Amino acid sequence: MQEQPTQPETQAHRRVTPPAARGGPLMWLMGGALAACLVLVLGLIGLIVVRGSQTFWPKAIERVEMVAVEGGEPEVLLGRLMETDVYRPDRDERARIEALNAQGLLPQSVDPDEPLERILLQVGNREFGAAAFRWVPLYEVASRSRPENTVVLERLEWGPFIGSVDALVFDRWLPEDEALFDERPASTDIGEGVATREVRFVGGERRVLERVTVPLVGEEGFRAFEREVRSAKDRRRVIERLERGERSEVDRRIGALNMRVRRAELEREETVSDDSSMPFWLWGGTTIASIGLLFAGVRLRRSTTDPDHPGRVKPGGFLASLMIGVSLAGLFFGAVDHPWSGPSMSEERLESIRAEHASEVERLIERGEEIDARLSELRRDDARFRVIVTDARTGRFAPEEVGRPGEPMRLSQIDRAVRSNALDFSGRLGVYFDRWAQFLTDRPRPDGEGGLLSVIVGTVTLTMLLTITVVPLGVIAAIYLREYAHQGFITSVLRIAVNNLAGVPSIVYGVFGLGFFCYIVGGYIDTGPDAPAARTPWWALVGALVLAASLAITLMGAGRRIPGRPSSRAASACRIGAGLLWVAAVALVFYLVAATPYFGGFFRAEVSAGQPVFGARGILWASLTLSLLTLPVVIVATEEAIAAVPRSIREASLGCGASKWQTIRRVVLPGALPGIMTGAILAIARGAGEVAPLMLVGAVKLAPQLPVSTEFPFIHGERSFMHLGFHIYDLGFQSRDSEAAQPLVWTTTLLLIAIVLLLNLAAIVLRSRLRSRKGPAV
Amino acid sequence: MTGTATPRITRPSNGADEPELGVIEAIRAGHEVRSVIHEQVTEGDAVLNIEAFSLYYGQAQALHSVTAPVRRGKVTAISGPSGCGKSTLLRSVNRLNDLIDSVRIEGDMLLNGESIYHPRVDVISLRKRLGMVFQKPNPFPMSIFENVVYPLRIDGEKRRSVLEEACERSLKGAAIWDEVKDRLKESALGLSGGQQQRLCIARAIVADPEVLLLDEPCSALDPVATLRIEELIHEISERYTVLIVTHNMQQAARVSDFTAFMYLGRLVEYGPTDEVFQRPRLGETEQYVTGRFG
Repeated sequence: MQEQPTQPETQAHRRVTPPAARGGPLMWLMGGALAACLVLVLGLIGLIVVRGSQTFWPKAIERVEMVAVEGGEPEVLLGRLMETDVYRPDRDERARIEALNAQGLLPQSVDPDEPLERILLQVGNREFGAAAFRWVPLYEVASRSRPENTVVLERLEWGPFIGSVDALVFDRWLPEDEALFDERPASTDIGEGVATREVRFVGGERRVLERVTVPLVGEEGFRAFEREVRSAKDRRRVIERLERGERSEVDRRIGALNMRVRRAELEREETVSDDSSMPFWLWGGTTIASIGLLFAGVRLRRSTTDPDHPGRVKPGGFLASLMIGVSLAGLFFGAVDHPWSGPSMSEERLESIRAEHASEVERLIERGEEIDARLSELRRDDARFRVIVTDARTGRFAPEEVGRPGEPMRLSQIDRAVRSNALDFSGRLGVYFDRWAQFLTDRPRPDGEGGLLSVIVGTVTLTMLLTITVVPLGVIAAIYLREYAHQGFITSVLRIAVNNLAGVPSIVYGVFGLGFFCYIVGGYIDTGPDAPAARTPWWALVGALVLAASLAITLMGAGRRIPGRPSSRAASACRIGAGLLWVAAVALVFYLVAATPYFGGFFRAEVSAGQPVFGARGILWASLTLSLLTLPVVIVATEEAIAAVPRSIREASLGCGASKWQTIRRVVLPGALPGIMTGAILAIARGAGEVAPLMLVGAVKLAPQLPVSTEFPFIHGERSFMHLGFHIYDLGFQSRDSEAAQPLVWTTTLLLIAIVLLLNLAAIVLRSRLRSRKGPAV
Repeated sequence: MTGTATPRITRPSNGADEPELGVIEAIRAGHEVRSVIHEQVTEGDAVLNIEAFSLYYGQAQALHSVTAPVRRGKVTAISGPSGCGKSTLLRSVNRLNDLIDSVRIEGDMLLNGESIYHPRVDVISLRKRLGMVFQKPNPFPMSIFENVVYPLRIDGEKRRSVLEEACERSLKGAAIWDEVKDRLKESALGLSGGQQQRLCIARAIVADPEVLLLDEPCSALDPVATLRIEELIHEISERYTVLIVTHNMQQAARVSDFTAFMYLGRLVEYGPTDEVFQRPRLGETEQYVTGRFG
C-alpha cells in the first residue's frame, strides 16, 4: 500500500482503449488490401510499359558457334539476342548432358542438376527453313561474338533477315545482239565489280541481262548500301502511291459506273411492273377532304376537353380523335402516293445511260491499262537493284522469292537495315524513334508488321462514334427516367432492367449487333423490307396507328394528374389506357417501317452485285453495338448525378418561376454535369477496351480502307475497320509466328492503354474545366 | 385529460387572469376551432386571401381550413411551434407543394382576386408573381450576377443593359450591392451565409413580386446576419408585401405589422403585432408569445 503513488490513478487513466475498438487490425487489413490492389495494377501496367517500350530498341546481334555434338561441322547461329534465362533442364536434357559430359565434347563439364543458363536468339531467315527463334543452352556454346558487319534487314515479307551484307548487284537489260560473257571486271560509281551477261526470256522475248556485282567492304561499303536502300525506298513509294492512288481510283470509278447502270436497270424493271399511281382527281379529293376533316376535328376537340374533371372523356372527344386520325392518315397517304410518284425509267433512257457508261468505262479501262504499263515499267526498273546478304548458318544469300533461290533479293524489299552492333547509343536511339514513328504513322502490312495507323484511326473513330451515340442517348433516357417519369412500379422495373443489362456478357451484344444491326437494319437500308405488305392493309394500319395515337393523347389529357386533387380511379384507368395505346402505337410504327411497300432500299444494285453496303459488318454497327453495351453505365451514372443535385436549388429555381424544363436545363444539368462526364468516361473506357463483340460486328485483320476520308461523308459507317484490341488478339493468337509477334503484342497493348488514357485525360480535363467554371457543386 | 369534451370556444381573457388552455386542449383533441381574427386585419385592403384552405399529406391533415387575408404593403408574420404548418401554408401560396405527389388540398387562395388553385391556373406564371426565400440560403452554383438575374433570364430577357440595371437595382434593394459590386462575376458560393441569404432576397425581388414569401429566412444565420436581414425586411416592406414565417417570437415582434399564431395546422389568433403581443385575446397566444409553451 505504501508503494502507491501520491496521486492515485483515476479510472479514466487506467482504462486502455482496446485495439479492436480503435480499428487497428482492420486498418492494417484495409491498408494491406489497398497495397495488394496497387501492386497488381501497377505491376500489370509496369510490365506492359517495360515490355512494350523495349520492342523497338535495336538489340545486339550475336554470332554463336556451337560445339560439334553430332560429329558434324559445328553449327553457327546468327541472331538477335532477345532474352537471357536461367532454367532447370528436364529429364531428357539431363540425360543428354550426362552423355555429352561422358564423351568429353563440352568445353567444360556441366552439372545437370544445377540451374543452367540459356539465351533466346531470333535467327530470322525464315526461307531457310529453321525456326525463327532458338533457345540456345550456354553449355553447348563454343564461342560468342558480336561482329560489326552483320545486319538485321526488316523486310516487307518473310520477316527479318539477319546476315552480312556482301555485295550490291546492278542489272541492265541489253538488246539481244550484245555479246555474252561470263565474267569481266566492271567499274561503277560505288566501286569496282564483276560483270556477267546471260540470256533471259522476258514475256517470251529473248533479252540479254548484264549483271554487275560490286562487293562491299568496310564502313564505306555499308554507307553505299544504306544509300541504295534509301533510294530503293523512294522507288517503292512512287510505285505504291500510283497503285493505291490512281490505279485503285480507276477501279473504283469503273465499279461505281457499273452500279449506276445496274441501278437504272432495276428501276426499269420496276417501271414495267408497277402499275399504280392513282388518278389526279382521287388524289385531290382525298387531300381536300383530309384537310377539312382535320380542321373540323381540331375544332371539335377544343370544345370537348374538360380540364376540370380528370378521367372524363366526352363522346365528342373520341369523335374528334377519330376525325383527326383519319385526316392525318389521308394526308400522309397523299404525300407518299401522289400521282406523279413511282419510278419512271423508259427503255430509251436506259439505253442512253448504258451507251454513255459504256464509252466512259472504255475510257477508264484504257487509262487503267496505261497506268499498268507504267507500273510494270517502274517495277522492272526497280528490279535492277539487288543486294547479296548471306545467311551465317547455310552460307546462302537471301533470295528474291522463296521459289527462286538463285535470284538475290531486291533492294526495295528492304524496309530498314539496322547494323546494331556497330551503332553507338545515339544511333540506337535514332533507330528506336524511327521505328516508333513508323509504327504510329504507317499502314499495316498483311504480315502483321508495319505501322498501326489504320488500327489507331479505327479505334479512335470507333470510340468517337460510340461517344456521340451513347452519351446523348443515355443522358436523355436518364433525365426522363429520373425527372419526368412517374416514380412507380414501372420505373423501378425499368431501372432494374437497365442495371441488369450491364451484366450481360459482351459477346452476347456482339451476336445481337450482328443479327440486328448488320443483317436486319443494314439489310433494310440496302434493300428495303424483305416482305413488304400490300398497300391496302398497310394503309389500314397507318390509319390504326394515327387513331391509336390520337386516342392516347385524348386519354392522356383526360387522365392527367392535377396537383392537389386526388387522382380518381377513372383518371388512372385513362392513364393506363394511354400507356397501352402508346406501346401499341410504337409497335405499329416499327411494323409499318419494317413492312412499307414504298421503300426499296438505297443499295439494291450493290446487293444484286454481291456487295452489300450497310448489310455487312461495319464501323457504324460496331459503334452502335458498343453503345448498347455501355448504355447502362451512362444511364446509371447520369441518374445518380441528377439525383445528387440538392432539392433546395431545384426549389429555388421553381420558386423563381422557372418551368421544370428550365430548371433541368439551367440548374440540374449543369450541377450534374461532372457526374455525367464521369459516367461517360467510364463508358468510353469500357467501350474502347472491348474486343469480343467487335470480332462479330466489324473489326477485321486487315482493312483495305480507313473508316475516315476526305471524301463525303468523311466518316464511312459501312466500312470495316481495324481495332487495337482485336489487333492484339490477332497478333498474339492468330499469327503464324507467335514468338515473333510477342514483342509487338506488348507494344500494341501499350499503345491501346495510352489511347484509352489519353481519351480519359481529355474527358477529365474537360470535366475539371466545367467544374471550375460553375464553381463547386452545392 | 378531457378527450371527450365538446369544443370550448374560449372567451377573450383579460390580461392578468390565469388563462385557460381551452383552445389548445380542443385542438389536441382533434376538434375544429374558430380562429380569432382581429378586425384590423379584415378591414384593410388584402393582396392575398386564404379561404378555408386545408391541406393533406396523404391521410394526415396538415392545415385545417385556414382562412386569413394578407394585408397589402404590410409585413405579416406567421408564427407557431414546430410542425404547426406555417411553412406548409407559405409554400402553398406559390404551389411548391405541388411537387409532392401525395398532397391534396381543399379550399382556395386568391392573389389579387385571382384563384391560385383553379385547374386552369398556369403555375409557372403564378410563381413569377411571387418571390420566395427559403430557410437555408440556396444560391445557384453560378456567378452572383447570374444568380440575381436568373428570373429574368428564364423569361428570355437577353439585353445586357436591362439585366445589369435590374441586377444593380435589386442588389441595392437587398442591401448587398456595396459588398459584391466588384465581384459580380465570381461564384455566389463564395459568399458568407448572411450574404448568400441577402443574395437570395435580391433574386426574389428582381422581378417585382406581388408578395414576397420568406420561409424562416434567418434560421440558418448567426445573430449579426439575422439583424441585417431583419433591417432589410424593414426596408423592403416599404415597397413589397411580405409574408414571413418564423418560429422566433421576438423576430415576429421586431419585423412584422401583423402576426398570425398557428397551432397544429389551425390558425389560432391573427391580428396587429402589438396587439397580439401585448393584448392577445386568447390566453394561449399570450402563453406562447411569452415563451411559456411551444
